[in-house]
Amino acid sequence: MTGPERGLFLYGVVRADERAAETVPDLTGLDDQRVRLLQHGSVAAVVSEIDLDRPPGRRAELVRYNDVLDGLASSGPVVPVRFGTVLPDDEAVVLSLLEPNGDHFRALLDDLRGRRQFNLKATYVEDVVLAEIVRDDPEVRALRERTRDLPEEAAYGDRVRLGELVSQGWQARAERDSQSLLADVLPLVVADAPRSSGGSHSVVDVALLVDEQYVDDLLERLEGLAEAVHERIHLQLVGPVAPFDFVGDL
Amino acid sequence: MSVQTIQRGGGGGYLSRPAPSGLADVVEVILDKGIVIDAYVRVSLVGIELLTIDARIVIASVDTYLRFAEATNRLDLFEHGGKDLSEMVEDLQHTGASGKVGGAVEGVKKALSPGSSDDEDSEGGERRRPARKSASSRRRTESR
Repeated sequence: MTGPERGLFLYGVVRADERAAETVPDLTGLDDQRVRLLQHGSVAAVVSEIDLDRPPGRRAELVRYNDVLDGLASSGPVVPVRFGTVLPDDEAVVLSLLEPNGDHFRALLDDLRGRRQFNLKATYVEDVVLAEIVRDDPEVRALRERTRDLPEEAAYGDRVRLGELVSQGWQARAERDSQSLLADVLPLVVADAPRSSGGSHSVVDVALLVDEQYVDDLLERLEGLAEAVHERIHLQLVGPVAPFDFVGDL
Repeated sequence: MSVQTIQRGGGGGYLSRPAPSGLADVVEVILDKGIVIDAYVRVSLVGIELLTIDARIVIASVDTYLRFAEATNRLDLFEHGGKDLSEMVEDLQHTGASGKVGGAVEGVKKALSPGSSDDEDSEGGERRRPARKSASSRRRTESR
């Protein structure tokens, strides 16, 4: 067994099949460690060795972890284990992860089979949407006329009111546009989940689970949508990525 | 990487498809995702604490409102850009030395001062993109 200073860093759980066995050797883990499968029955944990005395990690570790999971996801279903999870040794991985949760993992992996996660984000072209709000709301127009040539410290109340109205107009538009964008997209996906990346600028920020055979259709539809709305909305699609948003909790 | 495996249904390139690796909003968002094991050792070696995302939620607040107000008022030159030059000159002549000219001059000053390139950029289509980026990143910084 490994000594006390070494541990196993966990990335996720996959089906113990040939595809996984072929994919894993191509992956490089944290600290450039070899990534390997730790099989138990029909499922396997994906792990690499880690030195417990290593200095605290940074963004680079999170990126590497994410890359390993995306690499796994490109060849088949994977259930990600939360970043930073380290167990002492092989036995602990089997006893505390694979054995007690085997049925759950098998069901989850079956569900995810042949499906990909994409992250869709829509953001406004700020100036265009602000101009719409000014155009459509007479009170905004009036407040703007009153405040725009004054120094920033002046007319505080008017500025707050102006900003409040603009903010409301912005949110109302975002809600409307979000609904109409999603109405076009959701028929092509198996499931969707909101992502919480915050920021008042996103109109849509959603994870989509897509059947492989509909991926091309989805891309085509989004490309068309993106072109249609590009003057006021910017669409971004990231993926396929590991299905972080569709694995729930243990 | 995985991104290149599926990909590209032709298309006119309006949909942006960045590679996920290293994207801030991809990577930060996964910090608290993935299954959690009971008997695990979530070792400090991975520096979770250092990585914890500060709350970026921009809720309705006076701060947000003031930023919106500022952005809305910044639209000035954008609109004026819609007029042609002779109209603008006429405007200036008609209003004489009143507040409107003062505003225009201040607008120009603002546009020329570093860090507020948004004003001048809103006239030129191509240069608008980086300006927006700087505007929104500034906003993000302020919201922290």
